Amino acid sequence: MAKVEVTIVTYRDIFQEEAKEIGRYSDEYRDLSALILLDRGDMKLIKTEDGQTVQVETDGGMVVVTARLSEEDEEHPGLAFMPNSPWSNQLVSEDTGTSKIPEFKRIKAEVSATDKDVDTISELVERIRADY
Amino acid sequence: MANVMEVYQLLPKTNCKECGYPTCMAFAVALLGKEKIIEDCPPLIENPKYEKKLEKLRELLAPLMSADATETGMIIHTDKCYGCGNCVVACPVNVANDPKGTALGFGPKSGRAILMVEDGVIKCVNVEECRRFGPEKILCSACIVTCPSRAIEFV
Amino acid sequence: MAVCTGCSLLCDDIELEFEDGKISLTKNLCRKGEGRYRSLREDRLVPAVDGAKVGFDEAISRAAELLGDAENPLLFGWSNSSLEAQRIGIDLAKKLGATIDDTSSFCQGYLMEKVLRGEYPTCTLDEVRNFADVLIYWGSDPSSSQPRHMSRFSYFPRGEKRQRGYDEDRTAIAIDVRKSPTVVIAADGFFRIPPGGDAEFIEALLAALGGKIPKVKDKKMKKKILKLGSTLRKAEFGVVFPGLGLIYSLKDEIDKLTPLITRLNEVSSYKLIPMVGHYNMRGFNQTLLEETGHINRVSFKDGVEHGTQFAVTEAVNDCDALMVIGSDLISALPAAISKKLARIPTVAIDPHRNLTTDMARVTIPSAISGLEAGGSALRMDGVKVEFEPVIKSGYRSDVEILSRIMEAV
Ligand code: SF4
Repeated sequence: MAKVEVTIVTYRDIFQEEAKEIGRYSDEYRDLSALILLDRGDMKLIKTEDGQTVQVETDGGMVVVTARLSEEDEEHPGLAFMPNSPWSNQLVSEDTGTSKIPEFKRIKAEVSATDKDVDTISELVERIRADY
Repeated sequence: MANVMEVYQLLPKTNCKECGYPTCMAFAVALLGKEKIIEDCPPLIENPKYEKKLEKLRELLAPLMSADATETGMIIHTDKCYGCGNCVVACPVNVANDPKGTALGFGPKSGRAILMVEDGVIKCVNVEECRRFGPEKILCSACIVTCPSRAIEFV
Repeated sequence: MAVCTGCSLLCDDIELEFEDGKISLTKNLCRKGEGRYRSLREDRLVPAVDGAKVGFDEAISRAAELLGDAENPLLFGWSNSSLEAQRIGIDLAKKLGATIDDTSSFCQGYLMEKVLRGEYPTCTLDEVRNFADVLIYWGSDPSSSQPRHMSRFSYFPRGEKRQRGYDEDRTAIAIDVRKSPTVVIAADGFFRIPPGGDAEFIEALLAALGGKIPKVKDKKMKKKILKLGSTLRKAEFGVVFPGLGLIYSLKDEIDKLTPLITRLNEVSSYKLIPMVGHYNMRGFNQTLLEETGHINRVSFKDGVEHGTQFAVTEAVNDCDALMVIGSDLISALPAAISKKLARIPTVAIDPHRNLTTDMARVTIPSAISGLEAGGSALRMDGVKVEFEPVIKSGYRSDVEILSRIMEAV
């Protein structure tokens, strides 16, 4: 399966913030959170189209989210964006360096196409709860 | 947004003048200018052979005719609106009419503001005061360029 | 007029209409604030112990037990609580000999400390509105996070010395890694930098301000930065609004920003206001600073101690009880750290159900500040804003909940 390496930068989105106020467990919140915005070329490399699901993997974890074509007007191969949420946090390393701030905005990851469904918040909760 | 040619293509193109205009093209312009409504073209409504065209025309003009579209042709996509109020504060009419409120970044205080935020999204009232309205209209775009999500457009 | 606690702008011009004791119309609230108002009716938390619903008093006594019995309790949250609640929280930490930390610990902390200690010049947002002519949104996106920032204070409103409107009176520049909704409207230039490229951009800007050619590969960018240098020199009153983009890029090397702030104040007059998210993060940092000399990451186990070992992301390793108030910590932290949190016996105080409350042993529902409970808070620029409750509800305020826990331990 073709993979593409990206650096993920997380961001805030007002519609997602609004949905968060209404509830972490709402479908609306998931639809606006479980996303990754990819460069057109990167999408091609992994033979994925806007709206299909992708698997995103890092040393820290793995998550299945919906791929969206980024609306940036310049090409940005190797750079991807995700709304800050429990989904993006599946991927962030626990290594917080000297600052003790996790690396929320520079996540090295591999993205590949998948036919799995987008992870639900309950699935994320289960994974957090599971013994390790 | 719909342009004149698109509207014209969906009219009978017979120049029958029943609408009161000399040509279908002139009627198309009147439709877009909201001076006339689709129902002012009797053949289009009555003759079943135009049924498909009528349906398409209604679809095409729906945003223009909807409650969201004010008489200046302003369309507010409330689903995209952030409610940030940038347009409220940047609108020159608001600034002139409401110097103690919107001009200073607050919500309206004078009752004479034409743009305001209600229930988290923008709303347009007293539209006749908009600089795009009336015979001496100017193509003001203060509310369009200050919008972070392009939620406002004019048709 | 009501005050919105949706973000650290604490908008105080909110008008409400009521029908049958319920809010039927809001005026001047942005979409984010509107979300907070609508949340009044959504997913409210119930008092529970180990998943079973209990009475309020029972929840309080179990919470006190859990915290009182612990060797190393950690009290976390605070940026969504009033100043009054924060004060009680700090007293509770003292009484328990606990560690106390807030969201600034993995957020604006390093920068906020500089501002609160007076190392970086700052000003109020009202001064920005009245006088500022050059605005730099750096790694910040007010359109998404503090939606009325640009309309109420920084860019669009008229002010004492800014009477002619934003297009003539103000220059807005955005520095970011992506074309954010703020970039779209900041009319005077977008500087796209690579992730982590902030330190380099600071260097380039310093060169340009000193009349030197910045060391940038891209020719167009080089020209743009040189031009920016002269724009910045011409400012009468410039303001930098740093967001998480800049802070996460520099983290504990925030000092790399210092030469730029110094230089900007040699060529003109520049202030800095950190773009705080939660409505009273600054309030907590200020209060704890006054009490202990530190803005966050404090332990009261042995007098007052401060250090990175008391950052929530570290303290989680050796705390044996956790209280989280007004923060969905489990959602906010990397899953690998949340896994550790999930195993610590937790008391969660929040208006709503969330991932943290779902994993807590004891949950205590609270009133939403500004809506159901009054108090005061510090806006992102340090201005104190007071608020009254606007509707009646049975939910108790953080102040009441914390006082009760305090009495019970
Ligand atoms: S900008 Fe912030 S404080 Fe103001 S209405 Fe929006 S969320 Fe509330």
